[in-house]
Amino acid sequence: MQKKVCMLGGFAVGKTSLVRRFVTSLFSEQYHTTIGVSVEKKALSVDGEDVTLMLWDLYGDDEFQRIRESYLRGSSGYILVVDGTRKETLATALTLQQTVEGLLGPIPFAVIVNKSDVRAEWEVDDAALDELRQRGWSLFLGSAKTGDGVEPLFLTLADRMLRQAV
Amino acid sequence: MSNEPFKTHSFSATAQGLESSKEDWSELRSLLLAPEQSQLDELRERLDNPAIYARDVSRVLPDAFTLRGKGDQHLATALAPFVEEGFAAAVRKSPRAIVDAIAPIMGPAIRQAIVRTLQSMMQSLNYSLEQSLSARGLHWRIEAWRTGRPFAEVVLLHTLRYRVEQVFLIHRETGLLLHHVAADSVAVQDQHVVSGMLAAIQSYVQDSFGASKDQTLDHFQVGEWTVWIEEGSQAFLAGVIQGAPPTTLRQHFRDAMDRIQVQQADALSDFHGDTAPFTATHPYLESCLLAHYEAPPQRRAMGKWILGGVLLFGCAWWGWIAYQSHARWSHFLTQLKTEPGVVVTLAESTLGGYRLEGLRDPLAKDPSTMLIAAGLDPSKITAMWSPYYALHPSLITTRVHSMLQPPKTVTLTLESNILVASGSASVEWARDARHLAPFIPGISGYRDDSLMAISIPDLLLLVNHSVIRFNSGSSIVEPPELAKLQTVMAALRNLDLAASQSGRTVSLEVLGSADETGPETMNLQLSESRAHAVLAAIGGKQFSAATTITTGIDSPFLKQQRGSAGRSADKRIVLLHATLTEPPNTGEAVRP
Repeated sequence: MQKKVCMLGGFAVGKTSLVRRFVTSLFSEQYHTTIGVSVEKKALSVDGEDVTLMLWDLYGDDEFQRIRESYLRGSSGYILVVDGTRKETLATALTLQQTVEGLLGPIPFAVIVNKSDVRAEWEVDDAALDELRQRGWSLFLGSAKTGDGVEPLFLTLADRMLRQAV
Repeated sequence: MSNEPFKTHSFSATAQGLESSKEDWSELRSLLLAPEQSQLDELRERLDNPAIYARDVSRVLPDAFTLRGKGDQHLATALAPFVEEGFAAAVRKSPRAIVDAIAPIMGPAIRQAIVRTLQSMMQSLNYSLEQSLSARGLHWRIEAWRTGRPFAEVVLLHTLRYRVEQVFLIHRETGLLLHHVAADSVAVQDQHVVSGMLAAIQSYVQDSFGASKDQTLDHFQVGEWTVWIEEGSQAFLAGVIQGAPPTTLRQHFRDAMDRIQVQQADALSDFHGDTAPFTATHPYLESCLLAHYEAPPQRRAMGKWILGGVLLFGCAWWGWIAYQSHARWSHFLTQLKTEPGVVVTLAESTLGGYRLEGLRDPLAKDPSTMLIAAGLDPSKITAMWSPYYALHPSLITTRVHSMLQPPKTVTLTLESNILVASGSASVEWARDARHLAPFIPGISGYRDDSLMAISIPDLLLLVNHSVIRFNSGSSIVEPPELAKLQTVMAALRNLDLAASQSGRTVSLEVLGSADETGPETMNLQLSESRAHAVLAAIGGKQFSAATTITTGIDSPFLKQQRGSAGRSADKRIVLLHATLTEPPNTGEAVRP
């Protein structure tokens, strides 16, 4: 089973860093800045079923919030990445979520607040996180540096996408 | 319970009381807290005793690992260095166990890698073999040497017109790979990721130029590779082609895409990530894996066979010719070595021929005629012969005959290098032979005991003094006269031989005569008859052209001989008169 998943988030929130250590990378990061996307692969096993997540790592831009809609088309799910040390990236994520939902409808997604290894420097406070949880979002606190929260993030999203497909 | 601790006592009694009170408290405490105390002691022992503590931890350790592993990656991160270190130590300590453990996994992987490598090598070898024999192949080999690239790669670059290396069937909306095929020996990157990027590029180009949904990327080129994209309504084919593909190849892609769309219409519409149904598209994708090289492989193979055949035939023909030539040469050498008067000191084959050196008696057989007789080409043989005298009996004999030139009446034989002359010869020849013979190489002595030396003047004298007598009125040669005539005839034969050897001529006159009795006419006839009777007895045919015989009845010689005889009987005779004539104008010395 294959699923297309988009990685979304503001500029330099660590989307690429988050996935590079855990996926099959074939292309250099230059593609981000040339065509605005880099496709990578993450193989998982959910309840004994092999799932291949094709991760479309989209180039983030805080200022204009522009994403190519064509890249989102056909996605079975998406991941919103927030930089815990920059509060504005949470707002970007919220905007992106609305945009994507407007385009693709209510498809499974998960949010990861990155840089949990420097929690003391976080601008995103617990209240904001609680608010997200209250919305019913799948929220993960993780770190691209230590790898915390990454596997559960993919597993949870894969599981939700598979259940929705059934 | 007692109330003694609450009574008043003296100092000693008080001290005793205090002691008693402590015991009471202790007793009370043991009564109240005994179970907890034993539990505390047990717990302390479990904490203080490492053996018990380890046993307790071992019970929960697997569950603890599982629990923590589910939560995050901390445990894996923390254990990783120790696992790596432990593994390295295990490899160092017991490599055999590690080999046994990973062999079931590594075996198939290694086999697969070897098969791929061999396939690649075979392809390279095929290309190399096909091209290495031609002049163009030599040129490419120089190019490979100059550029440092493998020869097979250079050949491929020059001969390849196009080759479809990979074909991707990609879901249009999701960019997910539905199916993929690749040609043999093509290095395939992660086809899923490539598929996603192809879809991304497709979208990027469409977005960037504001194209409509129907206007899609048709193809793009990178170096010597072209990527052709054949669009369907829900999926598209992407072919990675090396070289310059012909436009007719497009039809293959179109046909394949059309058939897939018809056959997989439902699967494409309901696609949610399960690619299993698209395994059925494999034959269509595989039909697009076409390649075309500069020359048709069949013809090239045929050409290779023909070339190989010609080469093989050429080699066989050359081998046969060389073998025959060598056999002829060997046979010739054997003949030459057994030939009298020839000594071979060097016989070797050179570039394109042979070389001979040795000794040769001038009277020996000429090796060049032997060469031709042996079927060898004299122009290919260089021979250097040094002259020498061979002592082979046959050559000594030849040399003796060549130098002495004996008359036919002489027989020369060799008796242990002694030359023995027999028969008859002129006195001059016998004299010269006696002088020359000892100087002939191979002759150590000369003997002519059995040689009869004949002197021409003596013979002339003998002949000219011969008188054949007849009875009165008879022209019959009587037996006693015939016997006399035999001696004359022998002398005449020797004279004829001596004259012919010396180039001179003999004129023999047979002169008949009669006495005066009876008529003169009859006497003349009788004289002629007697001359002819003697001539018949002599038999003129036994002489050579050097001897001329005539008959006559009147000559000064006859008159002179008759005149000296007064008796009639002395006139009934036939006389023989031989004269020797020198050859006209002979400047050469007459050899005996």
